[in-house]
Amino acid sequence: MFASILASGLAVGAIYALIGVTYNTMFSASRVMSFTAGQLGMLGGVFGSLFALRVGLPLIVALLLTLLVCALVGLVTELVAVRPVLKSLEQHLYVLSTLGLALMVQQSTAILWSTEPQPFPRIFAVGAGGLWDEKFWLPLLACGATIVGLELLYRHTLVGRAFVAIAEDNFVARALGLPERNLRMASYALAGVIGGLAGFSGGALMLAFVANGHLLNFYGFIPVALGGLGNNRGSIVGGFVLGIFQQAATFMVGGIFASVAVFALFIVALLAAPQGLFGAPATRRV
Amino acid sequence: MFTRRRFTLGAGAAGVSSLGLPHLALAQAEAIKIGWLAALTGASSAPAIGFNRGVLFAADAINSAGGVKGRKIEIITRDTQGDPTKAVNATQEMISSLKVHAVWGPTNSGESLAVTPIMARAKMPNIHPCVVDGLIDPAKFPNAFRISPSNTQWDDAVRGYCLKILKATKIAVIGDTTGYGVAAANASAAGLKKDGAQVVYQANIEATQPDMMPDMLRARNAGADAIVVWSTSTGMDARLFNTRAAMGWDVPFVGHPSMSSGDVAKLVDKPDNWKKVYAVGYRSCSYDDSGKLPARSQELIDKLKGKVELSDTLLWWVAAGVDAVNLIAQAVEKTGSTSAAGIIDHWNSIKQHPGYFGDYTYSPTEHNGYPADGVVMSDASSARNGTFKLAPGYKA
Repeated sequence: MFASILASGLAVGAIYALIGVTYNTMFSASRVMSFTAGQLGMLGGVFGSLFALRVGLPLIVALLLTLLVCALVGLVTELVAVRPVLKSLEQHLYVLSTLGLALMVQQSTAILWSTEPQPFPRIFAVGAGGLWDEKFWLPLLACGATIVGLELLYRHTLVGRAFVAIAEDNFVARALGLPERNLRMASYALAGVIGGLAGFSGGALMLAFVANGHLLNFYGFIPVALGGLGNNRGSIVGGFVLGIFQQAATFMVGGIFASVAVFALFIVALLAAPQGLFGAPATRRV
Repeated sequence: MFTRRRFTLGAGAAGVSSLGLPHLALAQAEAIKIGWLAALTGASSAPAIGFNRGVLFAADAINSAGGVKGRKIEIITRDTQGDPTKAVNATQEMISSLKVHAVWGPTNSGESLAVTPIMARAKMPNIHPCVVDGLIDPAKFPNAFRISPSNTQWDDAVRGYCLKILKATKIAVIGDTTGYGVAAANASAAGLKKDGAQVVYQANIEATQPDMMPDMLRARNAGADAIVVWSTSTGMDARLFNTRAAMGWDVPFVGHPSMSSGDVAKLVDKPDNWKKVYAVGYRSCSYDDSGKLPARSQELIDKLKGKVELSDTLLWWVAAGVDAVNLIAQAVEKTGSTSAAGIIDHWNSIKQHPGYFGDYTYSPTEHNGYPADGVVMSDASSARNGTFKLAPGYKA
């Protein structure tokens, strides 16, 4: 039982963590919590299944096309739901605009794809059915690759440092001549790639299912809140803690009560550390 | 003597002859308008697409044979898209503007819950295939009749199969977290306990839950020798079957018809994972070990051949669509009118009406017309042109 909890908890946790990073990547560039993050995860599974199974493309081509489409969805999010409301961030209109776009994505997928879960291809066909099934370790692999990739990008490339600069203070970054709008668009495309990778790597576990969108929106947000807004390390730790706790609760008290247990933990954690477990307390200059 | 009085009478008679008789003739030739509330697009459209094939086939067959006493059948379809709001609007239109003579549908319980009281207020004869028990109540809705089994009849069939044929005594009951899943699982567990079975595990699972191992382990540790599933989610069904295989457990699954959906075939890791799964089915649409269907169903299939596609739908949907149109046509034929009261009175008097889907019996106090022994369990993985093989243990 312990091994099962660990295997499925880590796998689900890795997917939640990646969705949390998707939220953060969009937030860092725009100070907007975009509720399209979960839909990007859902689209990763749907497009992966579409390209690999329905169209019959080789898996690597299917993966690249999936990430490309998700990057485009990220760009559309920035253009349609974020840019128009940036001037009135304090009114939180982005909640409506990003939720609206998320709903449009969800409904379109339901109509054009299916409302029923669809199969996702097996990539390596290793350990089918057992604890070493790829559906358990593939999300972990994707999460590890994303962490390494982001570290390399943010610490060792000029573009990455520019991302960090606008995340720190976009007014100063703009004053220094950084192309803030282009960097924001690139951040949203990058978020699309990360969300798409979460869905693609978790496809065998979660299937290509339209209902995954709102599920990932909710459960992907919890690591962000637990780890601290904009803090990727916090999101990753938060994602794994959430995944393992959720699976343990499912084993101990059953699925319907596991959600209650998860949100109870979430509320308790936020009461104890409102800024998130890894976030710095907010300061205001007076 | 030609008096003014006689002239007036004569003119009146002439007026009657010039206006009344053609009017009477017009009424005789007026089409029998059947409102068809069909969720033809959107989520859960598969049943309505199947019903629709039967509806159009039956209307065409009646009209080709000269209609009902010379009156053609006119099917007036509104696509409700599975949306109760659209179903309400379409119902209002059918009652107020289109003035249909009877309504067939809606095809899902959510829409039916919304429109049944509206049709009851308008005294509109209504026949539908929705399973929720509360939709049929001759006191509250004297106009509403059910052509398919109720949820209780499904539950009875599942319970009967578990206890009498599988001889299971320790049963796990699993539902999804929808209103339907919770209500059906609770009713099923209560029924099993009432009949002396031990419900060793009961759970409601989110249909999107990626891993079913926790619940399956709990069911096995509780000693379950059969698992009853109440969910419309094919993804959840397939995950349960795959998990059972991964555990090396051969416990039988018994329950909701969704377990026999073609979608499950795409989601199970291996075809064998779908064995020992028994879903609610119908005797009229089940073939025996030798592959033979009941004679009346075979007759329908022969009639449909080349005209109606069956490979991507279920025979019972098509058969129920045919039966619904025939029941309305028969009511008009027997009563000689399309009055709502006449149609309802006729339906209330039907005993053992031989339809393709089943033999229907209604009375003023019972509008659940489908025969209890017509509901059986099918071998979920045995689909063949919309029919299924009878689950093991039944006599053909």
